[in-house]
Amino acid sequence: MARVQLEHVTKRYDDVTAVDDMNLDIDHGEFVTLVGPSGCGKSTTMETISGLTVPTEGTVRIGERDVTNLPPKDRGISMVFQNIALFPHMDVYENISFGLRLRNYEKEEIDKRVDEAAEVVELEGMLDRMPDEMSGGQRQRVAIARAIVRDPDVFLMDEPLANLDAKLRVHMRTQLQRLHRELDTTIIYVTHNQAEAMTMSDRIAVLDTGQLQQIAPPLVCYNEPANLFVATFIGSPSMNTIEGEITNDGFASTYGQVAVEFDPTAFGLTPGQSVTLGVRPEDVYVTTLVDDLAHPTAPVPTRSDVLEPMGDEIFVYLVTEDIAEGGSMEEGSDPGEILMSVDPDSDVQEDQEMDVILDRSKLHLFDEDGEAITHGLVEAPAAASGPAGTEVEGDD
Amino acid sequence: MSGDDDVRSDGGIAAGRTSAERELKRGPVQRWVNKAIKDPQRVYRAMFYVATIFFLVTTLFPFYFLLVLAITPDTGALAVLPQLNTLQFGVFLEVFQKINFLRYMLNSIVLALATTALVLLLASLAGYVFGRLEFPGRQPMMLLVLAISYFPPAAFFVPLYQLFTGNVITGVNLYNTPGSMMLPFSALFMPLSIFILTTFYGQIPDGLEDAARVEGTTRLGALFRVIVPLSAPGVATAGVLTFIAVYNEFFFSQLMNNGQPENWAPIVGGLLSLQRAGQFEVTYGIMAAGSIIAVIPVAVLVVIAQEKIVSGLTSGALKE
Repeated sequence: MARVQLEHVTKRYDDVTAVDDMNLDIDHGEFVTLVGPSGCGKSTTMETISGLTVPTEGTVRIGERDVTNLPPKDRGISMVFQNIALFPHMDVYENISFGLRLRNYEKEEIDKRVDEAAEVVELEGMLDRMPDEMSGGQRQRVAIARAIVRDPDVFLMDEPLANLDAKLRVHMRTQLQRLHRELDTTIIYVTHNQAEAMTMSDRIAVLDTGQLQQIAPPLVCYNEPANLFVATFIGSPSMNTIEGEITNDGFASTYGQVAVEFDPTAFGLTPGQSVTLGVRPEDVYVTTLVDDLAHPTAPVPTRSDVLEPMGDEIFVYLVTEDIAEGGSMEEGSDPGEILMSVDPDSDVQEDQEMDVILDRSKLHLFDEDGEAITHGLVEAPAAASGPAGTEVEGDD
Repeated sequence: MSGDDDVRSDGGIAAGRTSAERELKRGPVQRWVNKAIKDPQRVYRAMFYVATIFFLVTTLFPFYFLLVLAITPDTGALAVLPQLNTLQFGVFLEVFQKINFLRYMLNSIVLALATTALVLLLASLAGYVFGRLEFPGRQPMMLLVLAISYFPPAAFFVPLYQLFTGNVITGVNLYNTPGSMMLPFSALFMPLSIFILTTFYGQIPDGLEDAARVEGTTRLGALFRVIVPLSAPGVATAGVLTFIAVYNEFFFSQLMNNGQPENWAPIVGGLLSLQRAGQFEVTYGIMAAGSIIAVIPVAVLVVIAQEKIVSGLTSGALKE
């Protein structure tokens, strides 16, 4: 059993808090991915688990054992590094067997285990090569073999696929998933690549500024983000956010004419409260192209600005009217801009006036601090059957 | 071509005698200069050879003269180009017959090897600390260590002599032992090695050390199993420089023992004994022979090690 627990783990450097009161509880055999933007503390979290860094405060447990002050070698872990980190002066066999040789295993046992590990990662017949004679993907497989050969309790992977080309990355992704199924070990995986996080993990831990924002299965993070950060971070392209406030009969946006009618009191809201409405691009529809939406909002007059045909869908940048005249062209998220995705065969043109509607059952509402208020802005009767109200808070 | 009357006294050619272009009359130097003007590379090449020959002569001439000095019999006349028929090579054997010169050489080699080992071990630890760890005061400490190597060794001599002869702490008597030389040697030559190794160890990617530690080594284990092997060219450089410096050291080598081979006197002591090999005269010949023999180990080491160092540097051992 190798359950990994972080209890109130904090890591402070001189004037930076890299990890701030982190609580994680990862079950045996679970595949958990740490995601977040650069500098969010995901690598530092990984280092405190591996023992390469000692946390300033807090406790790290692996398999119910307090390992906070143990060196990496005594923690029963193995790790795959972003820069692969094969020992350049050793051949593949020596690299893979390095940890076993340090632990004084018998020669036959080492040979047996190295052969097995090489077989898992399909490296048979390459054991006498030097790392600099191998391709990036082969080196990565050697690194994985080196990690699995010791049969560790916990596998740590720090962006192991980041240095591979796109095609190889997808291939290795499926291989890693297969490996996880075969090995039945706990895997903690760090990445900033959303596709890796969404496809491989049992649960995703979203980190920002050293704090855990949400830890939940990938689709829960996607459908019911705990806060505005998770909402905009998970999903590509990211969720539209529309600032506005609660009125007596629903939501009205500050810019543009996005309005949703509902009874504020049903969601515990008070009129005058500033909120942010979130809607994913795929939940925005052109009024004329859809007619079977169960819970549509009132039509929002917009004008299409830029089209991005992706092949399987088209991304349409919509500008709400009053902004188009005001000409707000700030960097990043324009306050009046809405991104919509439509079918590739839809008849949309650039610079075309169109009314759009939003799927109310897929709307998200966040309060001033960015915490989620509700997912799905559907009136009470329908809300009972929908996912609305099942908040997932960022606690342990 | 034509007679001397064509050339005027200022070297010019008389005008008007013929209008046809004539081949200029040139000496070898003038011809060379003419070619050099057309092809300037010739000048650079020539300068290269001149400089090379100059340096070779200035460096090698003392060795040549040392050889001449050794093989010219004491009775014969000393000349830059000796008479071949009078030469005697037996003097090289005499070096070993007159005194126990082999023991002196062995002392030197043992002292140099032991000091090198000690320096490499301690400098590796220091190089790891200065090259790979972050801590306040790292730069000043590094400078302080380096500064030691700039001090004149003579400044340390009196206190060390007092210490090693038991005048400071009774019972500590290192005079006439290897320790009396190895300690000052290590202290003086270690800063250079620390500096070299700090540079090399600092270049090894952190990931490799982390990988080694996760795989099961301690920090020290990672240093000796991964960082040192990957810094082989740097370690070799530091080792060779230390060995040569110790082998060639004069000051402490001469003063920290009484010059007897059984008291760990190195080659300096041997050469000084050879000076007294004759009864009434200074025996330059045999001293010169001893000096040549003493040079051989270092010369061999330099030839071998240089190849190793260069091959190590070019094989891209540090490529990640």
